[in-house]
Amino acid sequence: MPVSGGEHWMALEGGADGSGGGASYASRFIGIGASVPERRLGSAELMASTKYRTDIDLERLTGVHERRIAGESEDSYTLALGAARDALAYADCAAEDIEVLIVSSITHYVGGLRQQLDPPLSVSLKEALGARHAISFDISNACAGMMTGVFILNDMIRAGRIRRGMVVSGEYISQLGVNAAREIRTMMDDQLASLTLGDAGAAAILERAPDGAPGIEVAGFTTLAEHSRLCLAFPSKIGRGASMYSDARTLQQVGIEDTVPMLREALDQAGLEFDEIDYFIPHQTSARAIKKGMKEFSESMGGAPKHVVVTVDEFGNTSSTTHFVALWKYLTEGRFIKEDRVLLLSIASGLEVGIVIFKVDQLVGRYGHDH
Amino acid sequence: MGTIIEASAVATAAAHQRSLTQGALELADAAARSCLERADRTAGELDLLINAGVFHDKILSEPAFASLIQEDIGANLSQPAGAGHGTFSFDVYNGACGLLTGIHLVDGMLASGTIELGMVVASDMDPEPGLSEGFSFPGAGGAVLLSRDDSRAGFTAFQFATFPEFAELFTSYVDWHDDAGHGLARQGRNTLTVEITESYADQALACAESTARELADAQGLDLVDVDLLVATASVPEFADGLATRLGVSAERVAAVPHGLAGAHTAAPAVALESAPLKAGSTTLFVSAGAGITVAAALYRA
Repeated sequence: MPVSGGEHWMALEGGADGSGGGASYASRFIGIGASVPERRLGSAELMASTKYRTDIDLERLTGVHERRIAGESEDSYTLALGAARDALAYADCAAEDIEVLIVSSITHYVGGLRQQLDPPLSVSLKEALGARHAISFDISNACAGMMTGVFILNDMIRAGRIRRGMVVSGEYISQLGVNAAREIRTMMDDQLASLTLGDAGAAAILERAPDGAPGIEVAGFTTLAEHSRLCLAFPSKIGRGASMYSDARTLQQVGIEDTVPMLREALDQAGLEFDEIDYFIPHQTSARAIKKGMKEFSESMGGAPKHVVVTVDEFGNTSSTTHFVALWKYLTEGRFIKEDRVLLLSIASGLEVGIVIFKVDQLVGRYGHDH
Repeated sequence: MGTIIEASAVATAAAHQRSLTQGALELADAAARSCLERADRTAGELDLLINAGVFHDKILSEPAFASLIQEDIGANLSQPAGAGHGTFSFDVYNGACGLLTGIHLVDGMLASGTIELGMVVASDMDPEPGLSEGFSFPGAGGAVLLSRDDSRAGFTAFQFATFPEFAELFTSYVDWHDDAGHGLARQGRNTLTVEITESYADQALACAESTARELADAQGLDLVDVDLLVATASVPEFADGLATRLGVSAERVAAVPHGLAGAHTAAPAVALESAPLKAGSTTLFVSAGAGITVAAALYRA
């Protein structure tokens, strides 16, 4: 059993009681960057492109009004690079100061829809950024990829192994929707979720927080692998890029059920009640799923966060980047105040459940909104 | 006090007759089960499971391959009411350096107390034999089980380096080929291509040597004191070549069975199979792969 904070189901970092094994430090976010394509694709336009007449009202069903689509010169690599540079600018730190660089994209498209397996994308990103001192590698954990990267970096920083690290994803994933549109026939189709996908890059930089400064309070993860085969994506049989097949309804149902005890565990570890969360940022699959999840979470937890962030309407599901695109949007729009506490919740194929709770604090000043 | 290898294990395609529905996952599952059995551990004891294999069934991009392995070996699949602890799974992709990269991550989480037991699994198999281009790695899976031990040093240092100027020497990718011409009634297919140039092996040796020497210098290690060299780069004869460059005698090189020379991500586990770690010994792990990326680690058993 993990020793950080006594008996618990999740792998947990941090806690209100100061537990956490050999951890000596706290970590905090100092820059959240994004790279969002200019091109927009409305749900009505996408559904007009289906090969078969479906009568699916995608916007009503999912809440996705539109999503961004990579342009001709954009791919997983360029979106990641743009987001990484954006994050560095907000963090006001040099790429040379990054000690660990983690690329966490599901998609690895470089030069169009060529999926690069070797070398890892992190090698060329490290070179392009000039992060010459960084240990670099790629990870993959479905839509929980960036959150997994945060979990890894948080642990390294807390233990004093590194002072600063970056996790970055570039998701050129809208092609899955294009492939789905060629095959989908009904709203019960196992490719329906592919139609909600949108492209975006996002990056987060974490650093060791000064003594006593607010930052990440708790990070936790677990994999409930009895559901590992509910959503599978692989190179498409019908065209360029990939196709994704999911039992979205079951995934949503078990995701909500299995998340309740994890939320309770993470909040307990942080010494918090649910209604002490100012902004709750769930993974952005569909507005309906978020609403249903929040209802059940609130009933089970006996309270509710002050705000629930929904960006799926304008960006769609940008897979591993959703939490950080949402954070970036709210930071650049000046929605937060320093005292706000944010909970990021990842529910992803695997079934992965990941939670990060942190205080926004100095981040607001970095975006010119130091109220 | 350090991170120690409780056990390692290997599964090979030759030993597990492949059927049409089996591949890298079967190898990963078999290696993971065998590794746990050798350590007299159960899957339920695992806190962390990392997959570091690259070429797996269907070239799955979602979910993490590790979650499939976790389900297959039965590691804390669902939460019993208010009891026990779970397993966290994800994939690491760092080419042939993936296994050592995974070990590095497990080492960190063991040291911080976030986990108490972690396993890194890696396997590769041609996902579409006869259709993939340039895939030459023998089918192999490996697993390494790691925990903390108060009385042993274990892994004492890691060193990583990238040499992006050689990125083109080893590439693999999936892209669409129009009219693949395999007699199927379709207009094309997504195909895996692996390209390793002739100069990769020599360049990998040079990069590995410089990284290993950096590690040795930083740790005050005289390379003649290395008792065992575990060196892998997905090409045959790499370990002997690196030993010559580093001045490590040939009998201290972890030999790999002929049919498994050139194994990909599981190669360090394959090498350990033929050269068990002896108490009091110093082992130098060096892996080189696409990038060129090099990972090196020092292990004191």
